[in-house]
Amino acid sequence: MENSSIIKIEKLIKRFSVGKSEFTALNDLSLTVERGEFLGLVGPSGSGKTTLLNIIGSLDTPSQGKVTVIDQSIASLSHKQSAKLRNRHIGFIFQTYNLLPVYTVYENVEFALLLQKLSSSVRHKSVMDALEWVGLTDKVKSKPSMLSGGECQRVAIARSMVKRPEIVLADEPTANLDSKNSHHILQTMKDLNKELNTTFIFATHDEKVMKYLNRKISLEDGQIVKDEIIQHSKN
Amino acid sequence: MLSLKLAIKNLLGAGLRTWLNVIALSFAFVLIIFYNGMIDGWNRQSKRDTIDWESGKGQFWHPEYDRYDPYTIEDSHAPLSREILEEIEKKNLAPVLVSQATAYPQGRSIGVTIFGIDPKQTILKLPTATLPASNGTDYAIIGKSMAESANLSVGDNLLIRWRDKNGTFDAREIQIASIFKCDVPIVDKGKIYIAIETLQEMLGMENEATLLVTGEGFEFRELNGWVFKDNDFLLADMEKIIQSKKVSGSILQALLLIIALIAIFDTQVLSIFRRQKEIGTYIALGLTRAQVVGIFTVEGAAHSLLAILLGSAYGIPLFLWLNRTGIAMGYAEDMEFDLPLAEVIYPYYSIRLIIITVIIVIITATIVSYMPARKISKMKPTEALKGKLQ
Repeated sequence: MENSSIIKIEKLIKRFSVGKSEFTALNDLSLTVERGEFLGLVGPSGSGKTTLLNIIGSLDTPSQGKVTVIDQSIASLSHKQSAKLRNRHIGFIFQTYNLLPVYTVYENVEFALLLQKLSSSVRHKSVMDALEWVGLTDKVKSKPSMLSGGECQRVAIARSMVKRPEIVLADEPTANLDSKNSHHILQTMKDLNKELNTTFIFATHDEKVMKYLNRKISLEDGQIVKDEIIQHSKN
Repeated sequence: MLSLKLAIKNLLGAGLRTWLNVIALSFAFVLIIFYNGMIDGWNRQSKRDTIDWESGKGQFWHPEYDRYDPYTIEDSHAPLSREILEEIEKKNLAPVLVSQATAYPQGRSIGVTIFGIDPKQTILKLPTATLPASNGTDYAIIGKSMAESANLSVGDNLLIRWRDKNGTFDAREIQIASIFKCDVPIVDKGKIYIAIETLQEMLGMENEATLLVTGEGFEFRELNGWVFKDNDFLLADMEKIIQSKKVSGSILQALLLIIALIAIFDTQVLSIFRRQKEIGTYIALGLTRAQVVGIFTVEGAAHSLLAILLGSAYGIPLFLWLNRTGIAMGYAEDMEFDLPLAEVIYPYYSIRLIIITVIIVIITATIVSYMPARKISKMKPTEALKGKLQ
């Protein structure tokens, strides 16, 4: 599939007020992400990984600079437009899964589609496809409280992928998982990345994630200190 | 629809907390309907009893007559025309002659009003047929409350004194022929009923009456020399008293509703603080803040829907049962109320009452749910996702 830039960040600065002073989380950061990348933002806590993900996901806005996601400038989006961008084009995966506790696995995955006003048959097929990708078709009626951590994160992946977004933003997706589950999750995402050409961006400092990435951006004090393309040998 | 579906799911998922609120609100809902239904039932019953026992389908009054002014009674009488006599014969009108008098039961003196009424009348429920024809003895019927206050029994003689049309005092002993039981105080308290012909003779007012009670068969028309008073007029005071009782009762209902609504408000405030991560997730999944506010508002308001369902589940059988068996009030021996109070009141639950109550419960629950939900629109989604208190 042809690669083209899906995210363009130019001279991004993000400041937060901390009491009477200000804290600069991202400092003059520029970055271009191509469609279909499997990219990791790595760095210590406070380096700005999550802040960058939040801005790309239009959950937050830049203090300065320009962030363009799928040809839309994040700073100029209204609440409604940014909600639409998230609903149609961006999937989120969180460290703590953030599943809706009163819904079943099926309903959690279906939720994103409900907003798109699709017919129930189309929704059903999409949800079952997504659950098949993550191997949870036997858990459709389970509630999140009945699942293991690994299963919860697979539900979260299915939820983020069910609407076939162009970008998936994953914030420390393996932080709460053991090694076996982490590899399973990462392999699932890698497969989806290949199959659907979805762009994955991780915020992580988990070493296990590194060997799956094809690009690694190291952040420190809100700045990019290293941008590496990783070549994996085909097996 | 999506908001409602999500709200119901969230509510049911919240378990006991939801049900405590729903039970409290359903209790308020049922009680409001019960109380108003009882007042409406009482109102209808009182009106029916008053119509049956006292006012008929309306009355023609002598122009001078004012039932609240005893001084008007003396001059409030007029002869009955041929036209009226024909209607009386057909039992479409019942003539009543009224006079003030003093009764002396066991040496005491009490002010009474004597009603001369046609013993053959069938318009009013008064058991006038039990009045024997005068045979040297004059007979009277009285109500149970009057009998008890004057310590009179059937067969007792009662000395009464009155002034005739010339203002001359006269006195006579009458015998109590029967005692009737009636729920309408103004028919009973201080009233003595004797045959109209007897009273006409006592007052020297042959063929005269003070008022004419109309019956079902009366074809309404003006009667020369008489003023028609319809039941809106005759029952107006009773209506006012019942409405005032409704207002005082509504204070209790409002308090009960407020307690239930405070519980919902409290739950909503707690819910919004506890479920910040969920709120952040909704926003990350593509809901606008307004939609999330909508979900939480509908969720709070859905308490009222569940309360209505729950209230209906136990309220409908309860109301049906009460409607069949009525609510025992006991006989108002001393008739403290000026309102007719039957021994058993049958509540009346109108569609209007139920719809208004449902609307009140839904609207108030929605308002108290919206107030805390507004805070969501000021939340930062990035902080909400972390579940940080804002």
